[in-house]
This record gives sequence, structure tokens and C-alpha cells, in this order.
Amino acid sequence: MEHEDPRNGELSPRSSKRPKISSKFISESEIRDEFSHHHPRVARINNGSFGSCPGLVLAAQRQWQLEFLRQPDAFYFNTLRNGIMASRKIIKDLINADHVDEVSLVDNATTAAAIVLQQIGRGFAEGKFQKNDTVLMLHCAFQAVKKSIQAYVTRAGGSVIEVRLPFPVTSEEEIISEFRKSIEKGKSNGRKIRLAIIDHITSMPSVVLPVKELVRISRAEGIEQVFVDAAHAIGSVKVDVKEVGADFYVSNLHKWFFCPPSVAFLYCKKSNISSDMHHLVVSHEYGNGLPIESSWIGTRDYSSQLVVPTVLEFVNLFEGGIDGIMKRNHDEVVKMGKMLAQSWGTNLGSPPEMCAGMIMVGLPSRLCLNSEEDAVRLRSHLRDCYEVEVPIFYQVSKDGEERVRDKDGLITGYVRISHQVYNTLEDYEKLKDAINQLVDDGKTCKMLCTE
Amino acid sequence: MASSLHTQTNTNTNAMNGTSASAAPAPAPADPNSHLSKKPRLLTPPQPLPITPSGILSEFSHHDPSIARINNGSFGCCPSSVISAQQQLQLQWLQQPDHFYFNQLQSRILQSRNIIKDLINADHVDEVSIVDNATTAAAIVLQQIAWGFAEGRFHPGDAAVMLHYAYGAVKKSVEAYITRAGGYVIEVPLPFPVNSVDEIVQEFKKALERGKQNGRRVRLAVIDHVTSMPSVAIPVKELVRICREEGVDQIFVDAAHGIGCVDVDMKEIGADFYTSNLHKWFFCPPSVAFLYCRRSTSNSDLHHPVVSHEYGNGLAIESAWIGTRDYSAQLVVPKVLEFINRFEGGIDGIKKRNHEAVVEMGEMLIKAWGTHLGCPPEMCSSMVMVGLPACLGISSDQDALKLRTYLRDKYCVEVPIYYRAPKDGEVGPVTGYARVSYQVYNKVDDYFKFRDAINQLVHNAFNCESLPN
Repeated sequence: MEHEDPRNGELSPRSSKRPKISSKFISESEIRDEFSHHHPRVARINNGSFGSCPGLVLAAQRQWQLEFLRQPDAFYFNTLRNGIMASRKIIKDLINADHVDEVSLVDNATTAAAIVLQQIGRGFAEGKFQKNDTVLMLHCAFQAVKKSIQAYVTRAGGSVIEVRLPFPVTSEEEIISEFRKSIEKGKSNGRKIRLAIIDHITSMPSVVLPVKELVRISRAEGIEQVFVDAAHAIGSVKVDVKEVGADFYVSNLHKWFFCPPSVAFLYCKKSNISSDMHHLVVSHEYGNGLPIESSWIGTRDYSSQLVVPTVLEFVNLFEGGIDGIMKRNHDEVVKMGKMLAQSWGTNLGSPPEMCAGMIMVGLPSRLCLNSEEDAVRLRSHLRDCYEVEVPIFYQVSKDGEERVRDKDGLITGYVRISHQVYNTLEDYEKLKDAINQLVDDGKTCKMLCTE
Repeated sequence: MASSLHTQTNTNTNAMNGTSASAAPAPAPADPNSHLSKKPRLLTPPQPLPITPSGILSEFSHHDPSIARINNGSFGCCPSSVISAQQQLQLQWLQQPDHFYFNQLQSRILQSRNIIKDLINADHVDEVSIVDNATTAAAIVLQQIAWGFAEGRFHPGDAAVMLHYAYGAVKKSVEAYITRAGGYVIEVPLPFPVNSVDEIVQEFKKALERGKQNGRRVRLAVIDHVTSMPSVAIPVKELVRICREEGVDQIFVDAAHGIGCVDVDMKEIGADFYTSNLHKWFFCPPSVAFLYCRRSTSNSDLHHPVVSHEYGNGLAIESAWIGTRDYSAQLVVPKVLEFINRFEGGIDGIKKRNHEAVVEMGEMLIKAWGTHLGCPPEMCSSMVMVGLPACLGISSDQDALKLRTYLRDKYCVEVPIYYRAPKDGEVGPVTGYARVSYQVYNKVDDYFKFRDAINQLVHNAFNCESLPN
């Protein structure tokens, strides 16, 4: 019954948007075409939050959606399963997993975190873990993950240790040392650390962590399970799950890997634990293993999970494929970061080798960014009045922590700039000029109006 | 602007936002003072243009024309005008996602929730959460029961009651969340074919008795409004009333097939939780469902299992953001209402005509095949179970699936088949039933095609044995 689906191997003849490749690699104007659905006037330097998806992948997605709508039963029985398996196999190879059974597709890292944490929560509820056994996480862990820990671990009687990483950071050693200290504290009073959640690339503030070393240390210190939240990783840094060595590793494909919203992979190293992991939305596939459970959680639009082969075609239009894209994004974002820091007289949040496609750049102290509200105000003002989209980080001061200064005062705020293939120099100059103008006009965050 | 969020058809809100997601409102009548005011007047939305048969054809022209698509019950359908509206919303997100997230998403979800609240006669919009599908809603309700056991509020052996014909996913969810947590599960056996509402009521009462044996409490009853396979409309109001009388803690009505198929009135039915898919019989794209939770202190602790930063802000708000995803299916509810109101009698007219047509088609088929319906017409919704000739030899679930595939591949008929094990002493029993649906896009020819396919199989002395595995 199944026939080879053209979308799995070649560019679909039905897709309406195809780059007309004259030379070997995709050209600048072809890239512009692929992202022509982006708002033309917005300096979109926030790929990190919601990612991006090129026109040819969107066209492929629409084909999948229409195929389902045309005859959903046939799609369900004959097409869906194979399509998801094709995507899982590609991901398995990309991330160097041993077996495709270790690769599940879920909506996003938020969903993956809930899956991992539910399993930990059950450990407490079912008496496998003792009350006050611990889960270790970073202080700057993504807010959804923190809440998930509250919902599944704290509620079930577990306790939490937060590792406060330094920021700005100047070396990996600082991270490693702080991490070790927190583990010591965690193990005091004889508590057992049941799970460590380690970001591969933190969200806010954004820094690439030495995750392989942190996982190694976790193992050495007897931490039972390690979950790497790598929401930003794939398409941003090299992802080798065997090298990283964690039990669980999740990354969103819609952030830096050009998939439409939304799709992520959750890697679970084969073990007794992984065989008792379940998707939270239980369907008739319950008990058939997490990948199979995740591939059917009721009637939904699974098209974003099916376009992974097309995405691979897209990235291979670029010189060096995804590796080339990653390298160029990194080089450009560092260059742009330095350009901004120099223009504003500020700093970078981390050294270039601890960045991937994003970098934190200090904001001039004269903006007086002194609260979360100030950060939100500034971000909205930049969006509404300057057509610049960039997330802003407010750094709460910690007692005894040394802060970086510029010529006018303490640096308390940072922008997190991203670089993806659609970005141009103008995007960053727009941000540079906007901030310089605000400073020249004597504006502080509290003065800013938003629409 | 605020008041417009509470009207049912909302073309003007979209127009004010500068989107083309809905039909353009009619031009304002000439106003002699119009030069004085720059603000456009908020008009009552124009009456939607009545839809014609060719309009319906066009709205569903994306369906495979070669298939007799008589299975609306499984995956539903979505008219092309709604698909276009959805694509617009998807593009808006892709164009500038941050702006959409901060300025559009929440208000649009609230708008959909308000429409649903009015449609289902809920007291307050806080009672209405939007989730992906009934499967997700079931997990939400059942996870909270699991916590009841884990946190010692319920005792091992406390019971949950569900129908034997509960949907497969719901049964598994009950296993995953209730059995695993120490609960005792009771299934209500229902007769099929069924002859009267009373048969169902009696079985249910007996099951509740069993539930209360040995000093057990019945913590949850899960009741289908319209069962899936075999499909029968259940007297939910009566069963809910019995549950209340018998001291059942919480009642969850699984009405996956509810809205657009049967009457859905939360206050009338009186359950604690009620879920229905909007993509089955309410013309939404895949996928979107509502979960109604009656406001009361005992069930204020429901959470979406995918936890985001909105955790603790109430189920509706939690469900409105569960990480980056495509929420567009949840946002087209206003557009769907426009579509529905182009039909005479709106959704009530559609329901009534679907019901009458499917019963008529069912009776045509049983006459042609010499079989019978699985339940009386008044216990059918927009679906009817039609007995298949016994000579086809459907003798297992596997046979039913194989026959379904055969009908799809060889006869271009899409219809799910249910295997009903014969009871002791039955002679020449009907063991297979087709669950036939009727939706606005269906034609009499679809059912003739099915009739003729089966007649041909009978004529050729076909038997399921001959089908390969």
C-alpha cells in the first residue's frame, strides 16, 4: 500500500516555493525569498525565542496538512506513522544516538520536561525516592522547567537545589566550580540527588555551558539521572548525545533547525527508567514505548513533525550544510555583539567560545534598567517605536557579586541578540542606533512610553 | 472594544486589527457627521450570506472526490474558508511571532473561549479551557484523580466507574492515572444492540452499586455523551443525576462527539467536567477541544500536564500557553461560527438535518441488506450503527479492520467497522456494524456506493477469511 513519498527524498514537485538554484549554494536573494514572509521592516534579532521557518518548508508542511484533510483515515492508517519514523531516523543520525527507539518527537522542550519530571514525581509518589531527596537545577533554568519541577517534584515531596551560575562569565572554569559547590551543598544532610537538570545553552542570560563536563561531574558525584535541557542546541551547537552522556536530552527543532512550530526531539538513553517513561497525554498507544506513545496523542496536526526531511534539504542548500550555518551564525553574532558593545561602551556577557548563535550584550547604564518591568518596557518600546525585536535581560544584583561597570555606572541590563541566516548588518545597526538615540536623548527605562 | 469580545460573530474585531482573517464587514451607511469622527463605527456584524449546495461543495472541495467519506465521526472536517482563515493566522505568527505572542494570542484565545461559553451555556468563561482534544482533557481530569490517591485524599481501592465502551485512549488513561495510583476501576457493561435508554440506566445503577461495595467511595464516573464504538447516544443527564444521588465525588462527561452532534448544555447536564472536540462536528481544523470545569472548590486544582510559566494561574490560562506551538486551530472559532450561521438554523439546524439524514440512510441500508440498526433512532446522533450481513463472516476485531481497509482500497468507501462478539445461543448473529456518519458535505450517493459495495461482496460470496493479514 505505501508508496515512496516524494517529499521524503526530493524537493516536492508540488511545493510552490522553490529556490531557483543557479549556483551551487543558495544565494542571498534566494534566502531573502525564503524568509519573505517575515515582517519586512522589523529588525528580527530574536531567533532564539520563537525560531524561524523558510518558505519551502512551510510549503511542504501545507502539503502534509492538505493530505490529511483530503482523506484523514487513509493518512492515519497509511502515511502518518512512516512519516514520523522518517523524521526520527534523520534526527537519530544527526544527534548520534544509538537507536531510533531512543528518539521521540514531542511538541517542545516544555513537554519533554514534563515527561521527564513526571517520572521523577512518580519516584516520590510510589516510594522509590525518599522525602526530601533532591532535584538539582540551574537558577537561570527556563521558567517553564522551574514550574514543572514545582508541579511534579516539590508537590510530590522532593526538594530542589538551585545552582547560581555567575554572569557575566569569563570562563568555563567558573561554571564548573560553582556547579561542584552546589552539588556538595545538595549532598549535605545525606540527601540523595535524584536528577540534575542542566541547560546546554541557557535561555536568559544566554551562555553555552560545558555540558559534557557537567554531566561527567554529576555522574561522578552519584547523581542518578541527568536531563539536559538543550532547547536551543540543535542547529546552534554540535549535538552528540553519546558524547554528552546524559540520560535525557531535549532540543527544539523549531528554534534553530528551521522546522515550523512546533517540534522537538526527546532523546532517552535506553535503560529501565526509559522504558517507564510515558507521554502525559495517554492514548491507545500507552505502553508501546515513549516514541510510539508520542507519535499519537489523539487527533492533531502532526505536520510539523513530518517536514524534517524537507528541512534537511533546505540546510543542505547552504555551504557546509548545518555545520556551515552554525559556524557563520556564531561568527556573525560575535562580530555584531562586539560592534554593539564597542558602540555603547559596554561588555559582552560571555567570551565568544561560550556563545553559539546568540550573545548577551550589556546595555548602557544610563538607561537605568533597574527592574523586570524596566526590561519589559524597553523591549516593548524598541518593538513599537523602533521596530526592533530583541529580548532584554535584567540582572538582579546579588550581595557580594562584582558587577561590570561602564563609564557611567553599573551595567544591569543585557540584550540577547541572535543571528540566523536571514539576518543582515542593518538589523543590528538599527538596534545600535536605537539605543544610542535613547541614551543621547537622556531617556531612562521608566520614561519610555509603549503603544 | 471590550464589548465586542463577547459577541458571537466578530468580524469587526478582526477588521480593527487590520487582518483579513474574516469576511469584510459591510460598508457603513452614509453618515452626515462622518467627517467629524475618525473612528469607525462598530456595526452589528452583517448577517452571513446563506450557503447554497454549490457553496457547500466548494467549501469541501479539498476532500478526496473519489471517496464516499461516511466517517465524519473519526477525524471530522473543516471547510476551506476556515482553513484559509487559519492559514492567515499562521502567517501572522510567522511574520512577527513576538508581537503575536505579546499582543494577539491571549485575547484571541479568550475570544474563542467566550464564544464556547455561550454555546454550551456555561456560567463563566473561567470554566472554559481550550485544549488539543478530548484525549488531552481526559489526561487533565484523570491526573488530578491520581494526585488524590498520591496525596492521601483518596484511599487505595476507591473506585472509578466508566463505560465498557469508553474510548480506548480514555481506558488507557484511566489505567495510567487511576489504576497505577491504586484506584479500582469498574466498567459498566452495556448491551449492544441496545433497545432503550432504560437498559443503559439499569446497567449503570448496578455498576455504581458494585463501586460502593466494601465501603469504597466512587471518586469519579466517566460517562460518554455519545460512545465511539459502538456509537450510541447515552442519557447523560439521567446518569449524572443518579451519580449525584449515589454520592459519586466527581463526574466527567466525555463528549468527544458532543458539540455539533448532540445538545450540549452544561447547566442542564450538570457534570463537574465536560469535554468535546471542536474538530469533529464543529468544523474546526485539527485540533481543538474545550474542557468545561464547573466552578467549585473541590475541582479547583486541575492543571495542564504540560507545565509552563503560567502554572498556578488556572487551567484555562495554563492551557493557553504550553510552550511554543501552533495555536491557530484554537483561534478560528469566530470564523467557524460565521460558517455555521450560513446554514438555516445554525448549528441546531445542522444537527437536526444530520440526524434525520443519517437515520434515513441507515434505514435504507438495513432494508437493502436485511439487517438492523444497533439502536433506536432516538439514541442515534449524527452517526448510526448499521448491521452488516452475517455472511460476510466478520469474526474478530482484526476482521473488522481488514474489511474496513478492503472497502477503502477496493471500493473507495471510508467507514469504520465494529465487531460485536456473538452471545451464547445466538443463531446467525450479526457480528459486524458499520458506523455511518452524516455531515453537511455528504450526499445520498455516498451511501448508495456503500450499499452497492456490500451487496457486491455478498453476491460474490465474500468472507473475511479470504482477506490477507
